[in-house]
Amino acid sequence: MSLAIVDAREWQNLLDLRTGKKAQDERSQTLMLRGILRKHPYPGDVDILSNQWVTDTALDLIGAYDPQLVCVVYAHQYFAGRYTPMSEGRRIAMIENVFAEIERFINESGYTPVIVGSGDMVKLAGEIDLSKVDGLAISSHWSARYAGLHRASARDLDYVSSNPAIERVVRRDEWISLFPGTSYQADRIPEYLLVAREGWTFVTTGTPMRKSLRIPGESFWIPLSATLGEAATITEIRALIHANLGNEKVALIIVEGVGIHDFPIPYTPCGNKADWHYYEPGDGLYLTISTGTHQVFAHPSGYEYHDENDAKREYPLSGYFLDIPQHTLASDFPGKSIAVGNHSMFVHTIFGADICLECFARNLYNQGCLGVIHRFK
Amino acid sequence: MQCSYCEWRCELSADSHGVCRMYYADREEIKERFPNRWSYAVSRVESLPFYHAHPGSRSLTIGTTGCNFKCRYCSNAYIALQDPDTLSEHIYSMTPEELVGMAKKLNCHNIVFNVNEPTVSLPALLQLKEIAKKAALPMGCLTNAYGTEESTELLASIFDFINVGLKGFTSKFYREYIGVNKADPILRNIRRLAGIRHVEVTTPVIQDVNDCELEDLAGFLANIDPEIPWHIFRLLPEYEMKDAGYPSIEQISLALESARRKLSYVYFHNFVGSDWVNTACPECGMEVIERLSLGCGGDKLNYFHCHGNQCPRCGYGIKMYGGFIPPLKERMGTA
Repeated sequence: MSLAIVDAREWQNLLDLRTGKKAQDERSQTLMLRGILRKHPYPGDVDILSNQWVTDTALDLIGAYDPQLVCVVYAHQYFAGRYTPMSEGRRIAMIENVFAEIERFINESGYTPVIVGSGDMVKLAGEIDLSKVDGLAISSHWSARYAGLHRASARDLDYVSSNPAIERVVRRDEWISLFPGTSYQADRIPEYLLVAREGWTFVTTGTPMRKSLRIPGESFWIPLSATLGEAATITEIRALIHANLGNEKVALIIVEGVGIHDFPIPYTPCGNKADWHYYEPGDGLYLTISTGTHQVFAHPSGYEYHDENDAKREYPLSGYFLDIPQHTLASDFPGKSIAVGNHSMFVHTIFGADICLECFARNLYNQGCLGVIHRFK
Repeated sequence: MQCSYCEWRCELSADSHGVCRMYYADREEIKERFPNRWSYAVSRVESLPFYHAHPGSRSLTIGTTGCNFKCRYCSNAYIALQDPDTLSEHIYSMTPEELVGMAKKLNCHNIVFNVNEPTVSLPALLQLKEIAKKAALPMGCLTNAYGTEESTELLASIFDFINVGLKGFTSKFYREYIGVNKADPILRNIRRLAGIRHVEVTTPVIQDVNDCELEDLAGFLANIDPEIPWHIFRLLPEYEMKDAGYPSIEQISLALESARRKLSYVYFHNFVGSDWVNTACPECGMEVIERLSLGCGGDKLNYFHCHGNQCPRCGYGIKMYGGFIPPLKERMGTA
């Protein structure tokens, strides 16, 4: 049973991760994680101290648990860049700041880093309003580039096909042919996937109410900085890490909202794509890195997520996830592992580390932190 | 001319739009500046929160812009407190028919106005009510209850279930933290609404500011109806109070002990994993509804044990507006 420790600042509760029901556990690993959660209240997604929280928390967890594999996510610059008005100078300073944090983490931990930037952000050029289609258009996971179109009418197809801000309209069978998927997965994806041109985004069911100022830009290639070797595509990063874990303590560091254009340290371009498709920052990108296989259909863009969000679902603390993915980077590694991140509540799902610690925030509302123990070692 | 929608009773003209900035006067008629401009989303009704109305249902949540309060801790300031003129381009232009159509497309069981204050958009909501009624979609709302007596009747004619944000008990609190002069109209309107509609009440608690009023608030509600569901929200300070501390969960829970003796349904949430979100039968104490609080992720129904809205152990009638809506998979016969 995986345990979840909810820390709402000065108050904690221990729950069964699968059911959300109250649990009891006094083992030393649980007490240790409780202590670290207590020591590090989360400052908030757009707070300047957010990335420092990641470093400090990860270093404390390393000190207490001594893992061989560490996964770290720095996401402040993605959230702040998306919603906070800022000058170009301040934006660059923000990126310098996250790399200073990464450098501090590497220096103080001594881990060999594999650093991946999730892609550049670009200024919003415009919005494509899909609220008036006859069918149902859905945007999921804060996606800017993709939206799903369900039960489309001929009028809808005319509209989206002739809209100059829409780069491509992809039929379900075309999408399925690009990535292998099960019939269950095929049934969940929309009849049509709409792909926006760079800078444009969809507004429709599922679009966050806050207006984006910058959105993820074109990211067919993303930066990878690693002394361990090269990975031509994001599906090869997992093997690169696993191949070296016998000799090295390795830290996979994902830097959100930074791509090839802004990456300030030496890197090699890493393929983040298949044909017309590239991953935006989110669980698809993370899961693909973590499992080494494309993960487009785990929570496909534009699916009818609201139909899965009722009383019968399990893993209520795990966002969109209905279960904990198997064969992830850390769950397939027999040694000790941890994961720490400030991109919402999905670090514990995508890496499968023994111990995970993440912010519990949604739509920038800061509710505290979540600690998860998948395994006792 | 004087606006009659809320107790500010602002003077309106073609160029003077009142505190909420949502109305203007045109030839002795009050008109909306931005009629039928909406935001919408899908939510579980428990998240809004309604714990005793249509449990398990899916709501189309809607909002407009503007508010007649200026809460120093507002969590929706980016939409409720901005100049509506600057926001109207960013929300959807939808007729009532289109909005109801969206609720149907998303398989929603009801429509709930929850982003800002409905009093600032009553004419459009009245039109929406007509169309929603034809589609058999009940409507609910969250309101600060600062309407005039006249507009409170209008509000009650639109909404079947209402959650009133009772933010404090004294006019002093309302003056200092909410920006209005008196609490009396709100208390008056709660009394009236509770007599004619399903009402739940939500009070955000700010430690060392309004926690001292909890006892009075509980007494006031119990005097109206000891079965009014009362939601105590641990305040997440935003806007002008962003740097304020988070209230202590243990201290507030202790302070609520006395309220629990006066009121049958007292909940304490707005934080993840709260222990105080289940419903116990007021008669025998059996837990008849189990929920999970996900804080900002919204609350969810876990188990509903009181089918027919009766305690399965002692048969006591659990206060409930509308019946339980089973999960989608059960409705489709696949679970």
